Amino acid sequence: MLIQDVMRFPVVTVEPGVTLEEAYRLLLERGIRHLPVMEEGRLVGIITDRDIRLATSHLNPRGPCPGCTRVAEVMTQEVVTAHPLDPVEEAARVMRERKIGSLPVLEDGALVGIVTGIDLLDALLKLTGVTEPSGRLEVRLPDRVGELARLTGFLAGRGINIHSLLSYPEDKEVVRAVVRVNTLETHLLAEGLRQEGFEVLWPPKKPW
Amino acid sequence: MVIYRDEYRLYNFGPGHPFSPVRLEMLTSLLQALGVWKEPLAPREATREEVLSVHSERLVRRVEAASRGERVPDLEHYGLGTGDTPVFPGMDRAARILVGGTLEGARRILAGEKRVLQLGGGLHHAQYDRSSGFCVYNDLSVAIRHLTRAGLRVAYLDIDVHHGDGVQWIHYEEEEVLTLSLHESGRYLFPGTGHVHEIGRGEGVGRKLNLPLEPFTEDESYLEAFEALVPWALGAFRPDVLVVQAGADAHFLDPLADLLLTTRAYARIFPLILDYAEAYAGGRVLFTLGGGYSLDATVRVWALLYHVFHGLPLPERLPEGWLREWEGRLGQPLTPTLHDPHAPYPEIPRRQEIEKRNRLTLERLMELLRSHLVH
Ligand SMILES: [Zn+2]
Repeated sequence: MLIQDVMRFPVVTVEPGVTLEEAYRLLLERGIRHLPVMEEGRLVGIITDRDIRLATSHLNPRGPCPGCTRVAEVMTQEVVTAHPLDPVEEAARVMRERKIGSLPVLEDGALVGIVTGIDLLDALLKLTGVTEPSGRLEVRLPDRVGELARLTGFLAGRGINIHSLLSYPEDKEVVRAVVRVNTLETHLLAEGLRQEGFEVLWPPKKPW
Repeated sequence: MVIYRDEYRLYNFGPGHPFSPVRLEMLTSLLQALGVWKEPLAPREATREEVLSVHSERLVRRVEAASRGERVPDLEHYGLGTGDTPVFPGMDRAARILVGGTLEGARRILAGEKRVLQLGGGLHHAQYDRSSGFCVYNDLSVAIRHLTRAGLRVAYLDIDVHHGDGVQWIHYEEEEVLTLSLHESGRYLFPGTGHVHEIGRGEGVGRKLNLPLEPFTEDESYLEAFEALVPWALGAFRPDVLVVQAGADAHFLDPLADLLLTTRAYARIFPLILDYAEAYAGGRVLFTLGGGYSLDATVRVWALLYHVFHGLPLPERLPEGWLREWEGRLGQPLTPTLHDPHAPYPEIPRRQEIEKRNRLTLERLMELLRSHLVH
């Protein structure tokens, strides 16, 4: 999944000379929290609802003056951006490491979109397959070549469509695979997998 | 009034498929052996137009083509030709016969009948544009729409172990339809939906209720939640009629899911539903069947429903001849009594935690819905 699959466009932007009051009203009206700042078609900064609240707080010795302070005075100037062809996980990592809530998306210097934490949550939902009617299997696999193939091969042999397959390391030797499958019969699958020697964590074996 | 016809058994995905017509054959032969079977009303099959009252033209066209044995390349996009919902010759008509039964129930209610038991249907997973989870067409929604078009407010109660997603999504924005589904949590179980925060959209906000229960929930915890939630919701909504999907797959023997109801819970639930219908829906109630994949348990649960529905005393033992015949045919022993034996499964070590979490879920749901439902 790439940034271009999850980014939003067109992007609501402001100019540097706009007052904080005007910028804040724009955020409220559009129900957003991030405004890229554009000057002559070029991205020169970004301002968030948090920036505006901090700048205009009574606790701020220089504030508050929402009507006389300009966006240019408060905005973040060195903007971290993404490219439409970046993978979503890279955007997630950058946002997490820099502790930022959005990335303007640039292509050949032009602003073509924006991606926020919410968009990444949507991406996560899609990646986990919960948006399709499905059941969930959870299997522990030895972390070595061919184990996932054995699992998916088993499902294919049963004619089961896989909506999503996520795996993550449990420790050095073991990965957990979470599979969303298009079937009501996960118990039957679990039984078959156990017979093939898989360690199935869910659904559990009923002792009766 | 009971609605049934033998052609319900044409809805057959083939040998080995859990949604087996054998369930109906076993059930009707049991009721006959018990001497309580009365000639039911045979419904006509639903027309194409009636199916189109809740489904898309393009879905119906694909079901029709697949039924004729034509190759349809994008069938899987419509939830068909999958392991769960394979196609079979005559599938369109077989599904329309089931829809026709539930729709006939709705018609009878409009004609003044109070209680209707449709011995089939309950295909609650089928969605507007997609068949899903053994369900080709949604008979429940066709009946519900027939009722709302006649101006009735409908409360839909779904006790199948799986979330009643198809019915919920079809009526998601409708004010005049309350949907209320108690099911095993979709965290793991198909179809993965049915969270407390799915409460409807637009006009329908606050009219869709979901109580996702923990796996291994037992009778007591289920009934506690049921008795707190259902009358509360019905009392606030004040429907004209109750439509009930009486799936039996929340039973502990069910091979597809993990709730642990016994027949004793069902013996409490069904009379309660009749009481609630009296108290909140003018006595009008339409039952359908639904899921239920342990032949042994499902047939006893639905026989129990049939007795409660008719106000008949429950038999204790099942008829010997019937038991012998079916044990022979199935090659497996059957529970010889209508009720499950006492303490039929080992003690669940996490019981208290499960009860606590269910209470918490119930509280969250009622908190979320309070401002919408109660004025
Ligand atoms: Zn079910």
